[in-house]
Amino acid sequence: MTDISHAGTAGRGIDRSRAIYWGVAALTTILVFGPITPIIFQAFLDKPLYDDTAVLTLGNFSRLISEPGMAGVFFNTLYFGALTMLVAQVFGTIMAVLVGRTNLPGRKWLGEIFIWPLFVSNLVIAFGWFTMYGPSGFMTLAAKTYLGGAPWNLYSVTGMGVVAGLSQAPLTYLMCLAAVTKADPLLEDAARSTGAGPFRALFSVTIPMIRPAIIYSAVLNFVVGIEMLAIPLLFGGPSGIQTVTTFLYNAGINAAVRPEYGIVGAAAVILLIVVALLVWLQGFLMKSSGRFVTVRGKASRPSTLDLGAWRWPAFFFVFAFAFLTIISIFGGIFMRSAVSFLTPLIPFWKVMTTANFENVLGSATYVRSIVNSVVVATIGAAIGTFFILVIALVSRRSDFRHSRALEYIALFPRSLPGIIAGLGFFYAVIWLPGADIIRGTVAVLILAFMIRYIPVGFGAIAPALAQVGEELDRGARISGADWWTTVTRIIVPILKPALFSCYALLFIHFFKEYVTAAFLYQPGSEIIGTTMLQLVAQGDNGPVSALATIQVVITAAFVILARRVMGAKIYG
Amino acid sequence: MADLVLQNLTIKYGSVTAVDNLNIHVASGEFLTLLGPSGCGKSTSLFAVAGLNHATSGTIRIGDRVLFDGNPNNTVPPEKRNIGLVFQSYALWPHKTVAENLAFPLILRKIGRAERDERIKEALGLVEMLPYADRYPFELSGGQQQRVALARALVYRPPLLLLDEPLSNLDAKLRERARVWLRELQERLNVTTIYVTHDQAEALAVSDRIAVMSMGRMRQLGTPRDIYERPADSFVADFIGSSNFFDGTMIESGTEKARIRLADGSEIVTPPGPAGKDGSVVVAIRPEKIELTGETGPNTMRVSIEQRTYLGSVWQYAVRSGAVDFRIQTPSELKENSILVRIPQEHCAVFPEKPGAN
Repeated sequence: MTDISHAGTAGRGIDRSRAIYWGVAALTTILVFGPITPIIFQAFLDKPLYDDTAVLTLGNFSRLISEPGMAGVFFNTLYFGALTMLVAQVFGTIMAVLVGRTNLPGRKWLGEIFIWPLFVSNLVIAFGWFTMYGPSGFMTLAAKTYLGGAPWNLYSVTGMGVVAGLSQAPLTYLMCLAAVTKADPLLEDAARSTGAGPFRALFSVTIPMIRPAIIYSAVLNFVVGIEMLAIPLLFGGPSGIQTVTTFLYNAGINAAVRPEYGIVGAAAVILLIVVALLVWLQGFLMKSSGRFVTVRGKASRPSTLDLGAWRWPAFFFVFAFAFLTIISIFGGIFMRSAVSFLTPLIPFWKVMTTANFENVLGSATYVRSIVNSVVVATIGAAIGTFFILVIALVSRRSDFRHSRALEYIALFPRSLPGIIAGLGFFYAVIWLPGADIIRGTVAVLILAFMIRYIPVGFGAIAPALAQVGEELDRGARISGADWWTTVTRIIVPILKPALFSCYALLFIHFFKEYVTAAFLYQPGSEIIGTTMLQLVAQGDNGPVSALATIQVVITAAFVILARRVMGAKIYG
Repeated sequence: MADLVLQNLTIKYGSVTAVDNLNIHVASGEFLTLLGPSGCGKSTSLFAVAGLNHATSGTIRIGDRVLFDGNPNNTVPPEKRNIGLVFQSYALWPHKTVAENLAFPLILRKIGRAERDERIKEALGLVEMLPYADRYPFELSGGQQQRVALARALVYRPPLLLLDEPLSNLDAKLRERARVWLRELQERLNVTTIYVTHDQAEALAVSDRIAVMSMGRMRQLGTPRDIYERPADSFVADFIGSSNFFDGTMIESGTEKARIRLADGSEIVTPPGPAGKDGSVVVAIRPEKIELTGETGPNTMRVSIEQRTYLGSVWQYAVRSGAVDFRIQTPSELKENSILVRIPQEHCAVFPEKPGAN
C-alpha cells in the first residue's frame, strides 16, 4: 500500500481554529462588557460620559440615597419582587404537582394552557390584566355590578405583586413539572413498600426532591420581579408608585429634559449588583443539589395519584386559576381589540368594530413596528443561534485554554436586567468610537437582544452537545479534520434538532422583547413592544389591544409551525 | 510502513503521573499490545500517540517524522499525524452512511471521486462489509459496526494503526472469532499496529509482543511466551494467567539454582532470583504446572485436598501442606484426600516481594 504522506511538521503558529477561538472570545467579551462598562463609568462620573471634563466621584451614590422617596423606591422593588416570587411559587408548584402527578380531569389541556403566558411579553400580560381587572376593567365592572363590589386594587404594590406573581406562576409550573414527572417512581414505590400511603409518599419523598426546581425558579422569579417593567409601569404609574426599573425608565426617557446621568448610572449599578448577587446565590444554592438528583437516563413512567373524591374540587380549583389568570387575560385582549369600548354592561355585538385593526394597519409607524419585529426575530434569531452555537462549541468542545472563562462571560447576561442592557447599549453606541453608525437601527436591537438571550440559547444547545460522544470529534480529528472541519461536518449536523429549538426560543424571546429596546429604538426602528409601550403611556388602548392581538397571533402561528415543521422543542 | 518510537514518554495531569517514562520501539509491521488493568495508562499512552492527549515530556516518532519532541506547545495536531484509530465505542458518525463515514477522511485528503470510490470499495471488501455501504451505523450490529470502524481507520492507508479495546463491546464468542480475523488482516496489510486491551487472553492470542503496564509504568515487554513463562516480576506473574505465591526464605543462591525454605518448613529448589533485604522471597508457580507424582523426591510435597472446583475443561483443587495453601489444576478428577505433588523447578520464578507490594 502506498502511504498518503502529509507534510505536517511539528509547530503550529496561528491556525484557523485558534483564530476562531480568540475571535469568538474577544467578540463575546466586547459585546457582554461593552454595555456594562459605560454604565459603571457613568455611575462614578460627575458629568455625562461624553463630557471630557468629567471627573470621578462618589457623589452620584450619595445623591441617589438622599433623593427624597428613594428609600421607598428600593423598598417597593424588594417587596414587589418578594411577593411576585411567593405567589408564583405557591401557585406554580401546586399546579405542577396536580397536572404532573394526579388523575386531575383535563390535565392535558390545562397543562397546555399554563404554557401560553411564557410565549408572550409581560407587557401584553400586564395590558390584559389592566383590561380585565383594572379600575374600569371588564371583570372589575362585572363584579361591581353583579356582586356589589370588587375587592381588588391593582394600583398598589401588593396588587402589582399578586398580578406579577400570578403571571409568573407558569415559569415555576414549567420547571417543577419537569422535576415531578422525571422523579424516579421507584423512590416513591420504596416509600410505599415501607408503609407510606400514596399521598404521604408524594409529600415525603417526591415534593422534597423537587426542591432544586423550586429554589431555582424562586430565585429566577425574584429576579424577574425586581427587573420587571411592564406591571409597575402600568399599575404603579397612575398612583405614583415607583420601582427601580420604572425609576430608571422614566429618568432615562426624560434624560433630555432633566439630565440625571449620574443618578441613573448609580441606580443601574445597584440593580446590577443585586441581580448578580441573586444569580450567584442561585448557583450557590444549586451546588449541593446532587443530594436531590432524581433524573434518570432511562425514561420512566411516573405513576399517577388517584385524587378520589377530590378530583372534581381540584379540577375546579385548577380551572379557575387557568380561567381567571390566563384565559380571561388573553380573552380580554382579543375582546378589547374587537370593540370600541369593553364593558359587561353593554352587549358585545353593539360595540363591535374593526376600527382598532384599521387604525393599526393604516398607520405607517405601526405597520413598520410589526415588520421590524418580524425582521428582528427572524434574522436576529438566526444570527443569535449561529453565534451561540460557536460559543458553545468553543467553550465545551475545543482545546481552547480559556474555554471556561468564555462560558462564564457568555452566561453573564443572566445577571443583566433588560433595562440595563438597553441603557448600556444606548451609552455604548454613543461612547464607543465608530459604533454610532448602528445607533437607532434594527441592527443594534438585534445585537442587544442577542447578548441578553445568550444564556437562553446556550441552555438549549449545551445539553444536546453533552449527548454527543467525544469520540465522534476524536474520530474526525484522527481522520484528518482540524477543529473547525470537525465541528461543522460532524457535530453540527448531529445537533440540528437542538439548533431548531434554540432558533425557536430566540425567535420567541426576540419577538416579545420590549424593555431592552426602550432606550435603543428611534423612529424607523420601532418594534411592536416599544410602540405598545408608547401607546399605553398615552392611554390609547384600542390600538394597543390590536397590536397585542397581532403579536399573539404571529407568535402562535410560529410556535405551531416550529413544533410541527422543525420539530423544535419549546417548553416541553 | 514505518516503525514507531516512544522515548521517555511521560504524561502528567497536575500532580498525577498517568504514564511514567515509557520506552517502546515498535518495529515496522509489528503487532504490539499494551496490556494492563484499567487505569494503568495504556489508553492514555495510545491517545498520546494519536495526538488526542497531550504528553508532558519525551519523544514520539513515526519513522523519521517527529510527532512530539518534548515541548508540549509544539506537538503535531491529530489531524496532521495520518494515523488510523479504532475506538472502543467505534465512534461511527451517526448521520453518515457507512460509505460516507469512509469517504470523509478521503475528502479531507482531497482524493478525487473515482479513486475515493475505489478505496472505499477496497476497504469495505477487506472487512467483508461491501453490501452494507449504504446503511447507517444504527442499522448495523455491534460486530458490523466494529468492522466499519476498522475500515474507516484503514481506508486512507495510514502507516500506523491504533486499536483501543476494539473488541470489548462484542459478546464472548464473536470476540474470539474477531481477534483471529483481525490478526489475519493485520498480517496481510502488514500495518504497524498498537492494540490496547485489558483482556490477557486476547493479548496472548494476537500479539507479536506485549507491553504489560501497571500504574503508569511498563513492567515487561516481550513475546506472549516470554510474558507468560518468564514474568519479570510478581505483578506480571499474577496479572497474566494466575499464579500461586509461596512465602519463603532464601537459603542458598547460586548462578544455576537457588534453595528456598517455605513456611511449612519444606525446602524447594528454584531458578535463581532476587531476594528482599532480609532474605525473604516469594516463589510463583502456575496451578497447571504443578504435577502429580507417585514418589517423593526433590520439590515434592504431600498435600491434603481442601476444596474441589469443577471448571469444565479442568478441575481445580485448593490444597494445603501445613501452613501453605495453594491451588493446582488437573484435567482428571482426583478421588483421594491426600496426594503427592511435585513443583517443577523450571516453572518456578523467584521474586523479592508479592504482587501489590510495590
